[in-house]
Amino acid sequence: MMANKKVQSRFNAKTKTTSKKNAKAADSTDTLLKNKFCLNNKHAWLLWLCQCLNIGMIAVELSTWMLSVITLSLLWQAILLNKKQNLDKNKALASGLFSKSKLATIALGLFALLGCIAIALTARQVGLLISMLHLLCFSYALKAFEIKARGDFYQLILLGIFVLASSLIFKQDLAFSLLTIVLLIINLAVLLQYFSIEKRFVSDIKVIVILLGQSTVLAVVLFLVFPRLSPFWQMPTNKSAETGLSDSVKPGDIANLTRSTKLAFRADFDQQELPAYSTLYWRAMVLEDYDGKQWTRNKSKDKTATSLDLNEEIIYNQDTSSLSPLNYEITVAPSFQKYLFALAPAVLVNENQQSTETLNIKAKDDYTFMSKKVITQAKSYQLNSYLWLPLSLELSAESKQRNLAYPKGSNPKLEQLAITLKNDYQKPKARAQAVLNIINQQGYAYTLQPPLLSDNSLDQFFFDTKSGFCVHYASSFTFIMRAAGIPARMVTGYLGGEYNGSTDQESGVKTGHLSIYQYDAHAWSEIWVEDKGWIRIDPTGAVDPERVNSGWSNELLQQQSSLNNDLLSLYQVKNIEWLNTLRLQFDALDYQWTRWVIGFTAERQYDLLKSWFGNMASWKLALIIAVSLVVSMLILLLLLHFINRTKTKSQNVALWQILYNQALNRLAKQGIDKPISMTVNDFAKHIREQYPELAISFTRLTVSYNMLCYKDLSVEQKGKQISLMKQQYKDFKQTLNSNNKS
Amino acid sequence: MPQTPPFSPSINTSIEATASSQQLSSANNLTDKVQASQTAISAILTKVESVVLGKPKECRLALACILAQGHLLIEDLPGMGKTTLSHVLAVTLGLSYQRSQFTNDLLPADVLGFSIFDKATNRFELHKGPIFNQVVLADEINRASPKTQSALLEAMAEHRVSIDGETHELPTPFFVIATQNPLFHAGTYPLPESQLDRFMMRLSLGFPDLKAEKKILLSSTQRTNQKLNTEEFISESSALKHNNNEHDAVISPDELMTMQEAVSQISVSNDVLEYIIALCQVSRRAYVNTENTYQSEAQSDISCKPLSPRASKAILQAAKAMAFIDNRDYVLPDDVQSVFYVVCQHRLEMQPSQQFGSSNASSVANKILSSVDVLNPLGHV
Repeated sequence: MMANKKVQSRFNAKTKTTSKKNAKAADSTDTLLKNKFCLNNKHAWLLWLCQCLNIGMIAVELSTWMLSVITLSLLWQAILLNKKQNLDKNKALASGLFSKSKLATIALGLFALLGCIAIALTARQVGLLISMLHLLCFSYALKAFEIKARGDFYQLILLGIFVLASSLIFKQDLAFSLLTIVLLIINLAVLLQYFSIEKRFVSDIKVIVILLGQSTVLAVVLFLVFPRLSPFWQMPTNKSAETGLSDSVKPGDIANLTRSTKLAFRADFDQQELPAYSTLYWRAMVLEDYDGKQWTRNKSKDKTATSLDLNEEIIYNQDTSSLSPLNYEITVAPSFQKYLFALAPAVLVNENQQSTETLNIKAKDDYTFMSKKVITQAKSYQLNSYLWLPLSLELSAESKQRNLAYPKGSNPKLEQLAITLKNDYQKPKARAQAVLNIINQQGYAYTLQPPLLSDNSLDQFFFDTKSGFCVHYASSFTFIMRAAGIPARMVTGYLGGEYNGSTDQESGVKTGHLSIYQYDAHAWSEIWVEDKGWIRIDPTGAVDPERVNSGWSNELLQQQSSLNNDLLSLYQVKNIEWLNTLRLQFDALDYQWTRWVIGFTAERQYDLLKSWFGNMASWKLALIIAVSLVVSMLILLLLLHFINRTKTKSQNVALWQILYNQALNRLAKQGIDKPISMTVNDFAKHIREQYPELAISFTRLTVSYNMLCYKDLSVEQKGKQISLMKQQYKDFKQTLNSNNKS
Repeated sequence: MPQTPPFSPSINTSIEATASSQQLSSANNLTDKVQASQTAISAILTKVESVVLGKPKECRLALACILAQGHLLIEDLPGMGKTTLSHVLAVTLGLSYQRSQFTNDLLPADVLGFSIFDKATNRFELHKGPIFNQVVLADEINRASPKTQSALLEAMAEHRVSIDGETHELPTPFFVIATQNPLFHAGTYPLPESQLDRFMMRLSLGFPDLKAEKKILLSSTQRTNQKLNTEEFISESSALKHNNNEHDAVISPDELMTMQEAVSQISVSNDVLEYIIALCQVSRRAYVNTENTYQSEAQSDISCKPLSPRASKAILQAAKAMAFIDNRDYVLPDDVQSVFYVVCQHRLEMQPSQQFGSSNASSVANKILSSVDVLNPLGHV
């Protein structure tokens, strides 16, 4: 916004100084500046295009009806523009799209009113955020119809930037952010078009990029130190956007997820040896309740969350001196859910106590982690995993009972099988192995398009269809275990991940991270064995070992890609090496972006500030920063004010004057001085007589200067003449330089 | 229609042409007007210069003065061609004109006219004096008494005269072209400042150069054969009214007025306005009190009368006319510089001029010109 205003004032001043003509001309230009707002056709179309692009950025989030209303009004606008353009080809587009007919104004007003009522009525359905967005976009689309003054034009541009900014609520990855910045530049360039003399869009874009570049410094400072004052200073949450696992799973659930190429989270092992693929079971949720149809998380566990101590107790009771824990940082993409990921058993790394408290993470006694708040922004945390340690050596009676419970008679055949197994094998592990053997040997198939099961019957899957994917196998397996008297539970999470990084050839140090996508979602089982604790058993491994050991096989990917375009392109990309490298590199960039920019939360900010200023109460720190910011802004404003005042006093130097003066300076360096009272023509004449080699280029420059400085040119002519003069100045420079050399 | 580049005619035309080939063409109403008048302008100039030999610069300035609707004062020694210039101007512009020889016993009524009782009609009838012409040639104006001189005053300023309490409009266009001898000559009354100020320009012709004088001498021997109309007029006695001869007129009064209208429409950029103002402000420095911020040491040696806003207006008008003659629809600082001396010198002089002939390098007007930066007239930082 700062840059925006700067541009405005700068070009205001410029147009004012250049518009002083003789009395009559001055009259007309003054009215042009003050009252009459004119957009020429090209500019109006640019504005329209800009509107379309801005709306396009957010179109996916809008309701269909709103989107169609906006599209219609944009089309209508285009039709009106076209009509107007044909009416007066050369005349500027004055006073908005409508002639001042009252009827049209009333109609537009009524339309706006109706739209607002409709937005209000649907608000309950779509939620506050989306309806506010509707209002914003609706007004953005309609505002274009009543551009009568410059103020309206500013409003439209500003609204556009708001629309653009609000699109960031829904997506924050690097590609999208870059796109937003590009669109921001276009928006500002359209604004600048109105003021610029040259009227060339490309050069305007250049100016905007330079201005934005300059304002980046301020933006970085504000980004680093400006207090993130929740609840005002936070991303609005959007409920409808939940992605990832849900806290209940029934057979067939995860298949949808495995069609998504969206990022779930990233794990950075920071130069450590990466664990084997088959050990990368990212636990998200432990599902213990089974009602015959679906597995759900036990809600009562939420309350008994004193498990951080419990964890530590377990870990420190063991002899850990020989083995160092696996340390890694996880950065979660916004999932709009609460669960987090870890390789169990793990503890949060507390670099400082305060920071952990503000992280809002709680560890639970089933070795999963939960965020206390819905994750709407990228969130990162550090973990230490002790993969060799057992989970929960002791099981409470209540817990044992819960993990043995199943609705009797829901799957009679499986119960029958379990009873046989119970009789055949004594050891729990042997019983489990027997089930895995059955799965492995009796013609089971791993597919992501399993036949539909009636009423989610596990019997039907296990004995009839015999094809399914992780959830099918895990839930059948867990069911059999429970029926066979072994405490068992279902765990959902992600398996594996895509390694993105490089290994240093000399030191062999690996740098890189794992990206875990939604298609890595997985479900497996855990059984509790005396003295061993919870043991992870993945029945999927019995049917498709490749899935467990190295991820998706190509056949599966191919099979999946027919269902989903994202996966299709992923499949194709993975098979083209350089494209895949490019994809991985972009993924690495995106990771850094998420980690350092999006993930720069209030906590990180606090840590950073603390490292600068030392320990201090957070509110004190925030206050100090806020006050110092306000003071420095005031000082800056005052400075700008004074600079501007002296500048306006000393008249803004026009571009052609700068160019000509530069030419004069260059000549002065050669020892050719212009007496102050000599007119430019006389000086050009002097040059022609004394330095014939410079004659043509300097005379051209002089003629352009005269035209720009003294002739009454229209704005377009001025623009063209300026670009011509720029070229002439370059020519002059070249002649001068080549002259010097020779 | 391609725009002719903004250059004074003295500039090397070939380079000018290549330079202009790069410029953009622009066409508007005013440009058309300026373009249309160019043939007429050059015809007028050719004619005037063929009579007043070897003085192209002065001829242009005199024409500019007329186009800028200003009165012209020609000051020089006797026999330098003052009267010739004024005559040829009046004739080529197709204006009705009458010459009055100003002498020290000339009365206001001789210039303005007077009422006489007509017995036949039984009422007073106005006998219009020479002032009721489009051009009044006031020869040797500084020989007349101040009373007569001031009779011209109202006419020059208001374009009307009062005779016996009645106001009479003067014809349009109306010009006074006066000639005068330098003040140190016998029998001259200095013109009061108020009247001097009403002349837009004061021209001095100066001595002709060798070539021109040779031509003059040659042409005077051929004069009888050629029977130049203008020459005849000069030989005729004073206070005689001439109707213009269409044969000699290059343009009609109507055309002249169209041109004058076009001149007043010529555009002036902010920079040129500031330049003119800056020039005037230099002349005012000595006059304005010391608290004035514009005071600076460098200009302290310039002692002159301050230039009035009327003077700055005159500079602007004259500069516009120069631009028009140069076939441009906008004013350059060059135009201002070329008219500054003739427009301002007579308004600036503290002492009655002891000089004549071509412009003096050390004159006040030139000092002022050389003290102002053309590119940044008001001294912006």
